[in-house]
Formats: sequence, C-alpha cells, structure tokens
Amino acid sequence: MLLEELTIKKLYEGLKNKKFTASEIINYYLKQIKEKNKEVLAYLFINVEENLIQSAKEIDLKIEKNNIEILNGLPLAIKDNILIQGWPTTASSKILENYIASYDATVIQKLKQKNVIFLGKTNLDEFAMGSSTENSAYQITKNPFDLERVPGGSSGGSAAAVSANLALAALGSDTGGSIRQPASFCGLVGLKPTYGAVSRFGLIAMASSLDQIGPITKTVEDAAILFSEIYGKDEFDATTHFLNEDFKNEILNPDFKEIKKLKIGLPKEYFVGGLDSQTEKEINNVITNFKKLGFEFKEISLPHTKYALSCYYIIMPAEVSSNLARFDGIRYNRHFNEKNILELYFQNKSLFGEETKRRIILGTFVLSSGYYDAYYNKAQKVRNLIKQEFKKAFEEVDVILSPTSPTVAFKIKEKANDPLSMYLSDVFTIPANLAGIPAISIPAKKYKIENKELPVGFQLMTKHFAEKNILGAGMLYEKEFLN
Amino acid sequence: MENITKKTIEYLANLARIKLTEIEKETLSADLKKIINHFNELNNVDTSNVKPITEEADLKNILRKDDENQNPYLNKGIENFPETKNGFLKVPKVL
Repeated sequence: MLLEELTIKKLYEGLKNKKFTASEIINYYLKQIKEKNKEVLAYLFINVEENLIQSAKEIDLKIEKNNIEILNGLPLAIKDNILIQGWPTTASSKILENYIASYDATVIQKLKQKNVIFLGKTNLDEFAMGSSTENSAYQITKNPFDLERVPGGSSGGSAAAVSANLALAALGSDTGGSIRQPASFCGLVGLKPTYGAVSRFGLIAMASSLDQIGPITKTVEDAAILFSEIYGKDEFDATTHFLNEDFKNEILNPDFKEIKKLKIGLPKEYFVGGLDSQTEKEINNVITNFKKLGFEFKEISLPHTKYALSCYYIIMPAEVSSNLARFDGIRYNRHFNEKNILELYFQNKSLFGEETKRRIILGTFVLSSGYYDAYYNKAQKVRNLIKQEFKKAFEEVDVILSPTSPTVAFKIKEKANDPLSMYLSDVFTIPANLAGIPAISIPAKKYKIENKELPVGFQLMTKHFAEKNILGAGMLYEKEFLN
Repeated sequence: MENITKKTIEYLANLARIKLTEIEKETLSADLKKIINHFNELNNVDTSNVKPITEEADLKNILRKDDENQNPYLNKGIENFPETKNGFLKVPKVL
C-alpha cells in the first residue's frame, strides 16, 4: 500500500494485521517532513526525532503482544495554540516566543492515553486570528496544491501538514471557520463539533463563546474516529457536556438507512452571488451527487445570515480584547522588564502583530462606554435571532448544505492589506459558530496535488449534538464519490 | 457613520494598554472606519423584541458541590511565572 493513501482506519488495520510497523510509519513521516516542510512551512516546531522513534518502538512492542487499539501510533500534528506539556507553544505570536507549556490540554491528555504520536506543532494566524495563516509572526505556510496560494486559516499549518502528507491527521481550532475553511482550501475534511462537545482546557482562548477544537483529516470516517476520542465532559471546561456511549456508537457506526432519510436544506441566502465559478459548479455537482444517493432536498431561508459577519466581527473582537489582556508581560513571558507597571504593559503588548492589535482595538471600541449598546448588545441580539433561525430551520430539515468558502484558496498577499475582504472569506462558516451548532467541510470530489486543481469544499451543518447526521451523510458521500 | 479619528484610536489604545506607532494609528483609523461602517447594517435588523443571547441562552446551570480541593496545576502556574519568590508571584510595584 502507498503510505500516502494511509488513513487512521487503515493505519489501525495495517498495524493490527502486521502489514507494517509503527516504526516504519514514523520513519515515513519523518522523511516526508524533512523533504517537504521547508517548502510548505506547515510546522513551527517538530518533535525530537529520537522521541518519535522511541514512541513508535513502544507501539511495536504492544503490537507484538497483540494489544493494539485505534489511534495507537497515529502520527498527529497539533495546532500551536493547544498545549502539550514541556513543548514550546507560541500561538504564532512573538509575545509567547520561548514559552513552554506547563501542562497538557485535555484533548492532549486523552490522546496520550491512546498512545498517539505528536509529530509537531503547526503554524496558525497569531492567536488563531485570520483566514490565511499569513498573520503568523514566524512564517507563511503554503498551500500544497499551489505554493503561491494560502492554505486558509487560521489552522492553515494543520491543514497543509495533512494535505502534504507531513502528518496523518491534525487538530485545529475553529472560532469562525478556522478548521473548515483551511480543510476546504487543502482538499481535506474538517469538523467543528457542537459548542460544548470538546474541552477547550489548554487551548489558548481567542473568543470563548465561539472557540471549539476539532479534527482535520483525510476522510470523514477519520474525522469521526478522532472526534470520538476527544469529546466529553471535563471539569476544567464548564461548557462541556456529558455525552454517553450511544453518542460514540452513532458517530462511528451510522445507520445509513436512517441517514438516507435525512432531509437536506439549501439556504437560498448562501447561493446569491459572490461564489467563484469553480465553487458554484462543484457545489451544484455535490447537490446532484446527494440526489443520486437518494437524499431529499428543500429550499429554506435563513434571512439573518447576511448579518452574521457583522455580528461575529463585533462579538469576537470583544471577547478577544478581554481574553488577550492576560498577555500583559506580567504573566507568561516578560520580554521587557520595565520598572513602571504601565510602561511594562505597553512595551510587552507592542509585540502583538497587526491583526491582533486591530482586533483588540476593535473589541475595546465595541465594549467602550457609549458604544456598548449600539454595537455589542445589538450584536448579541442579532446572534440570538440567528440561533433561533437555525432552530426553526431544523424543524423543516435535518442537515443544511452550503459551500464552505465563497472562493478557492486565494493568492498569498492577495487579501493581506484589506481586512474586510479577508473577513468576508468566513461568511459561510461563521453562522455555525454563532449558533453553536456542529458543521463539517468535506471535499466536493477527490483531489490530488499532482493534478493541480484547487479544491472546493462543501459544508454540512446540523442540530446541536447531532454530529451523527453530518458525519453519516458525509461518510455516504465519501464511499460513493471520494474513493 | 462613526467618526473614527487618530484621537479615537489613541484613546482606545490607551484603554487596551497597547503602544502604537504613528503609521499604525493612521492605518487602524482607516480600517476601523471601514469595518465599523459595515457594522451599521445591523441597524436594519429589528431587535425590539429580542433579548441578547447572553440573557437568553437556552442553557441550564450545571452545579457542582462546593468541595475543597487543591488545583493540581497550581505549582505549574507558579513555575511558569516570569518571577517568583518563595512560591509567591513577583510583580512590579502597582501602587
């Protein structure tokens, strides 16, 4: 088997049936990283080679004892805003340069119990703020499909790593589309779980009412497998829910007969102009494909969608401005040791990048006296309307289908000087975060890097904690059209 | 349309304790003017009978027992602090 076609599922089967060893797999990825990371620049930090080889050897010993479980030996990349104890964690910010994480994020703890092998930490827009990964203080990650284009963002390093076969899968975080949009740009699957499904303990907070951790994988099935190992109640994240074993069984083994009965809604507001021709063509093709599978479609209306962007770009910076206040030079790293406390704040915070400063200032503005009601409070009301609108829509349909992004991957620097046009690339992904519902991006067809065709992704959204719907429908699509 | 001037940016930057260069102030006031102007489309939404989501999230309070326990991460937090003395966090003089 060609290792570039490996999936999480095939890795497990291959190890179990002794088709290959964990050491062989790790050596393959080490070689890939050595050859290609300098070109793609997906990783900020790569794990020490000896550690990786040692971890793989331990897995091979387990295999000899026929004691192998799913995810054992999985070569996984982690977005650099998720803490791994003892590892550098920068969130791609100068302000956290030299910061070493002092504990494991809950998702990392869970994956360590499964003997996952962490290959390295991946590049992102500073503090996950951006749609292209160009806002990293360290490097510009390239899209493996076209090195002159962005991989999307903010989990662009994670997506580029998986797409270029520098990792078998990755974790990202999604506040307004940061898992789904890069997955779409890089021909991958990206799942943003329901708000409250996955613990954010150990994720550097950006906008706490929106942030969620999720998988970026090559297949829908892999996304389901990885998600099934990271969700669940955590005493260190009060927003997490208890989800029972049925939840796990349903996402891993969907009842396809039932899945085929799901009604798919097409929100007309998502299809009015603004789509590039390639995206429009592929999305229409996706709809035809789902019809071939026997799914019933219905046109629906989500009239407040067009306000989601404004709503998001008020609420998110407001939360950013308070969350990022902790990077004040007092805690974490102190780059400038001023005697005067105010000077110390000002000096240390000058290390924030341009977009981070922009969002802190914007957030400070919408929360400031005299503007709070006009902007912040108004946005929270509109957010409620958007949420109610989804709730109503899900009385008529089970799943909502849309493009993930209005365009394919854009060129590096194309939008870097126009923040508003950059923000618009999140227009289809933001509503799911505002409403807290789960959403997944899936490639419209099977894309191969050597074909040079830029990938298009479609998005499926569903009710809170009904991940089984979008994963199930996605798996059906995958079996038929992505093999 | 909100009048975002260089002065507004200076006021906000001071609130946020962020130092900006003259060029940054210019770019930020131009960017913010454009972005905030875009936000004004929200005035077209009738929200007269709508509560902000912060007051009407259909969530339930999940309570836990108020037991005494030691945070397992306490020492790690202290170890990670730039300056400490005898287990205390050392910061510059505030007042």
